[in-house]
Amino acid sequence: MSAPPIDPITLTVIWNTLMSIAEELGTTLRNTAFSEGVREGDDFATALFDRTGRLIAQGNFSPGHLGSMPACARHVIEYFPLETLRPGDSILLNDSFMCSGHFPDTFQVMPIFVDDALVGFVACSAHQVDMGGAAPGSQKVHGVTEAFQEGLRILPVRFVRDGEIDEDILRLILGNVRMPDKVRGDLLAQHTANLSAGSRLQQLFREHGGEVLERAYDIILDRSEQAMRTALAAVPAGTYSFEDYLDDYGPDTEPIKMAVDITFDGEGAVELDFSRSSDVVPAAINSYINYTRAYAVFAIKVFCDARQPQTEGAIRPITITAREGSFFNPAFPAPSGGRAVLQVRIFDTINGAMAKALPHRAMGAFSHWSNPNFGGTDDRTGQPFVMYDLAFAGYGGRDGRDGVEALSPVMNCTNIPVEVHETHSPIRIKRLEFIPDTGGAGQWRGGCGLRKDFELLNSTAVLSHLGDRHVFQPYGLCGGEPGALGETVLNPDGNAEPLHSKGMYDLKRGDVVSFRLSGAGGYGPVAERDPGAIMADLADGYITEEGARNDYHREP
Amino acid sequence: MIRVAFDIGGTFTDFVLHDDGDDGGGDQTHVLKIPSTPHDPGVAVMSGLERLLGQAGIGGGAIDSVLHATTVATNAVLERKGAATGLITTQGFRDVLIIGRQKRYETYDLYIDKPEPLVPRRHIAEVVERMDHDGGVVTPLDLASVDQAIDTLRAGGAETIAVALLHSYANPAHEQAIQARIRERAPELPVSLSSDVSPKFREYERTNTAVANAYVKPIVERYMVQLEAALKEQGYRHELFVMQSSGGLVTPAIAKAYPIRIIESGPAAGVLMGGIVGTAMGRDHVITFDMGGTTAKLGAVDGGTPAIMPTFEIGHVRYKKGSGLPVNIPAVELLEIGAGGGSIARADMGMIAVGPESAGADPGPVCYGQGGALPTITDANLVLGYINPDTFNGGAMTLDQDAAAQAIKKYIGEPLDLSVGDAAWGIHLVATMNMENALRVVSVERGRDPRRYAMVAFGGAGPMHAARLARAVGIPTVIVPLGAGVGSAVGLLQAAPRIDVSITRVMLLDGDAGAAIAEIYAELEARARLELDQLGGGQAPQWRRQGYMRYAGQGFEVQVDLPGGPIGDDFGAQAIAAFNEAYLQKHKFLDPEARIEAVDWSLAAILRNDRGHGSANLAFSRNAPDTTGGPPEIRDAWFPEAGGYVPTRIVERRALSQGMTISGPAIVEEPDSTIVILPGDTARISDVGHLIIEISPEAAP
Repeated sequence: MSAPPIDPITLTVIWNTLMSIAEELGTTLRNTAFSEGVREGDDFATALFDRTGRLIAQGNFSPGHLGSMPACARHVIEYFPLETLRPGDSILLNDSFMCSGHFPDTFQVMPIFVDDALVGFVACSAHQVDMGGAAPGSQKVHGVTEAFQEGLRILPVRFVRDGEIDEDILRLILGNVRMPDKVRGDLLAQHTANLSAGSRLQQLFREHGGEVLERAYDIILDRSEQAMRTALAAVPAGTYSFEDYLDDYGPDTEPIKMAVDITFDGEGAVELDFSRSSDVVPAAINSYINYTRAYAVFAIKVFCDARQPQTEGAIRPITITAREGSFFNPAFPAPSGGRAVLQVRIFDTINGAMAKALPHRAMGAFSHWSNPNFGGTDDRTGQPFVMYDLAFAGYGGRDGRDGVEALSPVMNCTNIPVEVHETHSPIRIKRLEFIPDTGGAGQWRGGCGLRKDFELLNSTAVLSHLGDRHVFQPYGLCGGEPGALGETVLNPDGNAEPLHSKGMYDLKRGDVVSFRLSGAGGYGPVAERDPGAIMADLADGYITEEGARNDYHREP
Repeated sequence: MIRVAFDIGGTFTDFVLHDDGDDGGGDQTHVLKIPSTPHDPGVAVMSGLERLLGQAGIGGGAIDSVLHATTVATNAVLERKGAATGLITTQGFRDVLIIGRQKRYETYDLYIDKPEPLVPRRHIAEVVERMDHDGGVVTPLDLASVDQAIDTLRAGGAETIAVALLHSYANPAHEQAIQARIRERAPELPVSLSSDVSPKFREYERTNTAVANAYVKPIVERYMVQLEAALKEQGYRHELFVMQSSGGLVTPAIAKAYPIRIIESGPAAGVLMGGIVGTAMGRDHVITFDMGGTTAKLGAVDGGTPAIMPTFEIGHVRYKKGSGLPVNIPAVELLEIGAGGGSIARADMGMIAVGPESAGADPGPVCYGQGGALPTITDANLVLGYINPDTFNGGAMTLDQDAAAQAIKKYIGEPLDLSVGDAAWGIHLVATMNMENALRVVSVERGRDPRRYAMVAFGGAGPMHAARLARAVGIPTVIVPLGAGVGSAVGLLQAAPRIDVSITRVMLLDGDAGAAIAEIYAELEARARLELDQLGGGQAPQWRRQGYMRYAGQGFEVQVDLPGGPIGDDFGAQAIAAFNEAYLQKHKFLDPEARIEAVDWSLAAILRNDRGHGSANLAFSRNAPDTTGGPPEIRDAWFPEAGGYVPTRIVERRALSQGMTISGPAIVEEPDSTIVILPGDTARISDVGHLIIEISPEAAP
């Protein structure tokens, strides 16, 4: 039965307030966090739930936690049935399967009461700097074969009772992580942020009354479901398939097949099935179903209805499936710490399929990003150092526009300035520049790859690399050419030894590692490119004279 | 002493002439608001000055001081109409400017573009050189590569050059050598060095600051020269002062050398005005709220001092970090929202949405009758009875209430099954909610408790929404200053000359840091003195020091006020204590275990405002109230607390005198602004004529 009507002005006020609470929860968390992922990469999420655990509103933060929140709330309620929750409680968990697919993401779910009646939940997640396990950051890929090597696993526990943090649980956690002060700070920041959001939610209930809020919730879920269905119904009915390959999961390993079959029923529902993909792999890169779902929902939103507020209603018409035991739906204890490297590729795979349904909305594949870590003992101080870098290059070309140069792809992070790196770590960056002729040619050119060279100024260090697209090129679309392959080269001005995209290497003083990101895919046939655009690219150096001749068949 | 201030805005140019009556002629203030002439802002300035001098019955020779705020630099950047700029940078780093910081300002939108850089890649040239972060030379500067870069850029049509090399904040020698070379080889090209304009680390932001400075330099130079000549023609003999983004004044010579500093000149003056009004009313903590035709701006004054941020983004979208071009210049803290009288309302998913699309001034709201078809905030305010259709903007235009009502009915009322009044109220409410979200960012999120703040509301539409907005976040008092419609120009009259300098010196802060900090401040003071000499006067400035610090490992610095006076051995400890205080205020917790890292250091030198030695309130003094008006008018206006339309008292502001009180619901009208007083609230008139609304405690959230 549908809810009785509620006037549009009250509804507007309630919905706007709910979204504002979810946003404010996130900005509070970001401003006080220590973890780089939280403050630079918005690697966290916020959510408001009704008293049965239905998702009512979310802030616009990490897509990676997007689809995880509803499942997380359900698992919390399984462990803590509604009647057992008390004012002043808050539940903590980080299980890879229940949450967002790896241990560093801690979730806190706080029940909210008004006059001793449960009215809903506020929740937030945060990517912690460390959760213990095989390597700093708990995201080591190669050589990690089961989740128990990845750090501390927290099934739902009552972390806060009567408003007081359980010091025993806290001690248990902090005893298992590498940077206990920061983890403690971020766990507290999450709790404080939830508290402030909770008090605003209580105020909303006091202003409007529980009955009006409940009715408003039903309308919000129905309307957002309807809006999503309308958007999905506009996509021509049919099944659209695509497959691509991740290079591998470490030196001397096989490629991982990433396949999707997307079926639009033409009436407002869509199913994304990843079953044809590879099996689970013995490295910490598997994608638990919540993570798969998160990026699949993100991609559908991008294609169909990006601006729509995120609620359980908007997710209802989207079904995500993957064969049990496959790469995209592994069973515990599959290792998964480094699954972040997949986000660009999950999007690329769905984008490839969607290009067959909505070619004008799709784009050539992204240039792949690079996420190397240099670590060792700093000769100058005797202290350990870890230099973590993020490099992003171009977007694929799309109908009507060349790919944007050097923009963060699916995940959304800032880079780290050269001057900041050099101030804090014993390295020198020798180059940071576009690589001409690497963007996939086409009517609309893909963005260029990026070259970033690091010289080690320390006596020794270990490089652990995380990259991809060294084997399989970023595809072009609708007749556009693929982007150039990426590569990683040790001492490019010496013996120029190629390095593996997911390998670990010992370096010595003076070694230069040159990271060269792939170019992004082009869109549309080269012959259709505006000659003026080719000349402009030549003038700006995005292509060379040789590139103009070879890729665009034009004499400069 | 007679002083004239003018603020050139996008839509209007505002003037204030103030005579403090020290010649025995009595205290007088004249204000004027005329349309801006965006193609040549000087045209409006000259015609306005002529009218203003006519009103006051004096000639240009009688003016003692001219103070000025302008959008000429901002508009050149926003419209990408600056000069063709060439950039010289370190070999291997040609793409720093184009790469930027890479984060999308909307996570869920993969179709957005980055802000377009001010220099295309073809106009960026590399030179062979390299410094390290300590300022040590890794690779000496190769002059042959410099010559080649200069020639390439000149051949490419560059009219102005920016030089931004890696780590130049630590050692400017290579940038300075390049400048010397350009002066020899291409003396016609103005040069902006990143080590001079903004010696701070983080290469993208520093490069962009130098580039933006170079980009607007020829335009600002031309504009200043013309303005000075025109003023001279009017018989004006003294120096012109220009408002900087920091809220301090400088001479045209400094504005021409560092035009990037005047980029937020007008809005800065508005915040300053809010601070002066607040201080005069005994309110040290003020939120300023300025709402005009296209945007609303929120600023803050803490403890009597306008809040200043060390960086600023030009062309910010929906106050999202990374959406604009960042520049390292101290600027008053301002949050700009796309909510103005012209913001368009629509029905969306069975609800009301307002903005960010705007009908602007052309075609403008439906009620202007200039072809606008979609309902706007102004249309809603008219239908709600808040705006007088006959006296809008001083009676310059008559508003079409029926057309406004029809548009609201068609686009909001009918789709949502609401009466016209309800629909108009919904638009007003949603517009206020949008601003409330921004106000929460400025207040709660940045550690300001709204209950301790007063709101100073101005701009044409500000005082219409102010009381509602204050209620929503719990601000107890709203002050609508006299001259609310020309607030920024009034603020100019109160500004003092000021120089800001800053530098990056990264260090771990411990008790022994005193000597190192003393060295940094000696360097900064020397730099500030170079410019202070140009400001003349020889008077001793008031110095203000700030550090930008964080826990080592964090990514965002906290702004820390450092003690004044000599820097002794205990200064490190004092700085640590100051950091703890600032951090606690902002983030509500401290981590005694963590190490503190200082990154940037800044120094402001503020001179006494000796040309405007009058007290803060003089600018607002005025003639006796005009009590000759007719009987109080009654108009129906919408107040949901009273159940919808109710007969509401309409009062002319010029008929109000000191000590009078007005109980809401009521509307106070003045030629360029309208004040809405809500049921339950009470307004009174201060001794100088400001209107003070006390928000009913029952209305607080």
